[in-house]
Amino acid sequence: MVMSVSAPRCLQWSDREDYELEDYEAEVPRWCTGCGDLAILAAVQRLCRDEQLPLENLVFVSGIGCSSRFPHYMKTYGFHGLHGRALPVAEGIKLKRPDLHVFVNTGDGDCCSIGAAHWLHAIRYNMDMTVMLHDNEIYGLTKKQASPTSPKGLKSNTTPRGAYLEGLNPLATTLGVANVSFVAQAVDWAPAHLYEIISQAFHHKGLSFIRIVQRCPEFLPAHFDSFMQDPERLLLLTHEDGIPATPDLSRAYPQREVHDPSDINRAREIASLTDRIPIGILYRNEAAVCYEDVVGSDTLSTPKTVRTNLEAELDKFTVWPPSEEREGRG
Amino acid sequence: MSTGLRELVRFHLTGDGGGDDRREESGLRSALLAPYRDLSVLRYDFPLVLVERDDDGAIVRSLSSVVDGVLREIAPTGAEGERLRSHYLRLETAMRVLLSEGVEATLSELWGLAERKLLSESDETSAELLRDSLSRPGGAPRVDGEVIDCDDDTPARVFEHAWRAVQQERSRIALAEIDELLLKLSGILEADFQKSAEARDPKSLAGSMGDHVGDTFDFEAMSRVLRTVSSESSLSGSRRERIRSAISVLESQRFFEPAAEPVRDPGRAAAHSFVFDSCTRAWEIFRERIPEMVELVKAIGIAELELDNRYRESEHDALFDRFDETSLAPEDLALFPSYLVRLHDKDCEGSEKARCIEALSSGLPLKILVQMSDILGGPALANGQFTLGARGLQLAGMAVGMNGSFVLQSASSNLYQVRDRILRGLSYEGPALFSIFTGSVENAPGLPPYLEAASAMQSRAFPAFAYDPAAGPDWAARLDVAGNPQAEVDWPVHSFSYEDADLQRVSEEVAFTFVDFAASDKRYARHFAPVPPGDWNESLIPASEYLELADAEALDKVPYVSMVNGDDVLQKLVVDQQLIRAARRCSEMWRALQELGGIHNSHALNLLERERDVWEREKERELEELRERAVPAPASVAIQPADAIPAPAVEPEPEERSADEPYIETPRCTTCDECTELNGRMFAYDENKQAHIVDPSAGTYRELVEAAEACQVCIIHPGKPRNSDEPGLDELIRRAEPFN
Repeated sequence: MVMSVSAPRCLQWSDREDYELEDYEAEVPRWCTGCGDLAILAAVQRLCRDEQLPLENLVFVSGIGCSSRFPHYMKTYGFHGLHGRALPVAEGIKLKRPDLHVFVNTGDGDCCSIGAAHWLHAIRYNMDMTVMLHDNEIYGLTKKQASPTSPKGLKSNTTPRGAYLEGLNPLATTLGVANVSFVAQAVDWAPAHLYEIISQAFHHKGLSFIRIVQRCPEFLPAHFDSFMQDPERLLLLTHEDGIPATPDLSRAYPQREVHDPSDINRAREIASLTDRIPIGILYRNEAAVCYEDVVGSDTLSTPKTVRTNLEAELDKFTVWPPSEEREGRG
Repeated sequence: MSTGLRELVRFHLTGDGGGDDRREESGLRSALLAPYRDLSVLRYDFPLVLVERDDDGAIVRSLSSVVDGVLREIAPTGAEGERLRSHYLRLETAMRVLLSEGVEATLSELWGLAERKLLSESDETSAELLRDSLSRPGGAPRVDGEVIDCDDDTPARVFEHAWRAVQQERSRIALAEIDELLLKLSGILEADFQKSAEARDPKSLAGSMGDHVGDTFDFEAMSRVLRTVSSESSLSGSRRERIRSAISVLESQRFFEPAAEPVRDPGRAAAHSFVFDSCTRAWEIFRERIPEMVELVKAIGIAELELDNRYRESEHDALFDRFDETSLAPEDLALFPSYLVRLHDKDCEGSEKARCIEALSSGLPLKILVQMSDILGGPALANGQFTLGARGLQLAGMAVGMNGSFVLQSASSNLYQVRDRILRGLSYEGPALFSIFTGSVENAPGLPPYLEAASAMQSRAFPAFAYDPAAGPDWAARLDVAGNPQAEVDWPVHSFSYEDADLQRVSEEVAFTFVDFAASDKRYARHFAPVPPGDWNESLIPASEYLELADAEALDKVPYVSMVNGDDVLQKLVVDQQLIRAARRCSEMWRALQELGGIHNSHALNLLERERDVWEREKERELEELRERAVPAPASVAIQPADAIPAPAVEPEPEERSADEPYIETPRCTTCDECTELNGRMFAYDENKQAHIVDPSAGTYRELVEAAEACQVCIIHPGKPRNSDEPGLDELIRRAEPFN
């Protein structure tokens, strides 16, 4: 039972805000024109508008990088934090304020390099939040250095002779972590599909991880051209429990596969494809345990309980003067 | 017809010549109850252990289930396990005996007492073995609580225990919510205070940092800086006052109390009590508390709105000003503890009953427990209309008719079986009536209360049912009669074996009827007359068979019931017509209840019959047609194989545009700002933040072409130039070609 009285609902119709997309817009984005981040921002703002999410119930958390400027552009709560530490901050927020919708915007460097340890454990902890990995396969903010997801042979300021190693595959990595509950992939140049994926991720209970393949027109202007210009190189994953095959999508993407999001083995195979970019929901498990649900305490952290518990904890290590020992420990 | 039999027929028809003198032989009981002389050696639902609510949500356990639980844990299969089982079952019996001797104890105490008793009664060798068995690790019960047997007081104790468990859970949730509201409301005031001049005073700032800072920090300077910060966003006076007032109401509420409060604030008023022995009193107290309830609901409402930042003074002030008891919605009432009213039918006057009905129809959260010790009524019945059975069923029947009340009727012997329903009724948001028959030692001295209560249920005199309005929208979901023994038939039938005069075993099926139940009540002795074994003949038929006969068939028959005396000698007793009429009436009421519960429902049977007719006629017609046509079977139709992957429905292609007009494939736009930055009057975003051409004449053809070239996803189509005078058109048209 959750206590709730009727009075606040009496005039609900009159105090309801009608949020427009502009209500979620903060300052003008400082991303380069043509940047894929703009498409992601527009999709997220559309989602907030369509779901009529109150501004004060939203928080966007990011680390460092181009994509991590995201919170500045949403007129909601935000936390532009330390490099690689977006996820632990987001987890802390969710633990303390489970009533907030938590979004994380992180880049391929922020998430897959310096923040990789946090990334894996956040997937396993499966706390209820929507994580968007803006993956342009390059460091843009610092002007073109190779990132962990840069493909082999990519020439950059740090790899002038081409990247030596195969890029890290964020989907395959995520699908290998225990207790993973939602993994999807989208491309920024298919806005309707991107919106659909973000929307389904938002409604998923648990950590929903979306890798968004994103263009960097400044430093890798033609990097994804072959995929953009040839729709055959995208593999549209459809399923009645995932993204259904609508006529529009089917017309745009002739390469389709019916993929059941509960099939993790096939999801891992799809994640490992190299010739095509699979887009859609690869894996979803509503039954995965959420960390905040199993560690939650019924005790309310009032100043009094905090003080009492702290005192009790400190008392364990207190060296009592002999005269006070009895009373003090009692 | 022998003289003796003639007398019996006369007795049956007129009731004359029977009477107490003919049943002087005491200790008579229904033959089916013969095996249950000593209940302490039987394993059955009683005694009950009133346990604290555990993970399973159980609030009551039977002693046998507790012992079984222990044995499951510690007793392996084989000889060793058998010894343990035998010892623990002896322990269980010892506990039953102690309880029947009047011992009042908790399970752990009773367990210890029984252990000591068994050990003291055993010789040295067997005591050694017994001690070994009983001291096994895991050999103690995992639950504890009061142990109670089946008697007059049982329903009151079980219900009060269950009610407390439900209320404690409700209080725990409510208090947690109230504490959270208080914490958050205080947070708003605290945040507001931090913006005040007082909080920004150097002393106050220093105090907030603790003593260890010393002179290392200049609080004067900090105070000066902070004072320059605008405090525009501080709370308005009315909002602050409203929040303070809500905090004060939430803090002083008396409806919810922690289960175990270590130190009670001496200045605080005592919490309300919710257990009553009179409906009238509970009703009065409820009325008295309404203003307090209204205040608390208002405070919670205001707090919720304030915390969501949704309180609009222009609208909510008026709403809360006129908020009174008429504004309380059912969900508001459901927050508060329910009122438990314990009534006893013998102390229940007419006005109290009327108030009961009034309370049940009001929808208020009153949980009324009515304990019935007498459902047959006194001997005065003999003079007037025979309305046996109706007395106990009256209240529950009326409550069901009211539709909005939870109603549970059951014999006290059945309480363990209906424990989940008890919890459901107590947790139900509206009123609930629990009508429980306990039996009475006064009226049936020969029977333990457990057996009398069980007989009332077996005989349909007091059938069990539950009506739960929260279970669904229709009667099929709401009314449940399945808990009755052999609910499909009129009377439950059991096998009965005895030894005849030739010492041969005789087995027969015997129905347990209303007459059997009435037979154990000493006030009804005059309705029975014993038949000497010499007069036993075919005219005597069991009462259950007699009840099925039409009047004409019954003319030369005499109904009897089988009973046994104190020495377990079988007797046949003729039943008078008056009691038979009462049994018929009981049977009719049972059938009505069966129908409501979906058993042999006449509407359903009629519908089934009609549908069957329609179906049969339809089939007949089809057959007729086939016979008439008598043509070869139609050629088989080729079946198209279904595609493995269903093709999506094909949507008509979008209409063709004029190749001369510029346009954008808006749904594919990635919001990349290229075109809008190039010419914000020509290109703009729509409500989804995707680009479209608002005014093709707001710029040059060159800009259109450049936008098309810059577009990352190639969705801008420049069309043909509108102004033929624009310079460099030839080159632009050539560049536009790939995009048109």
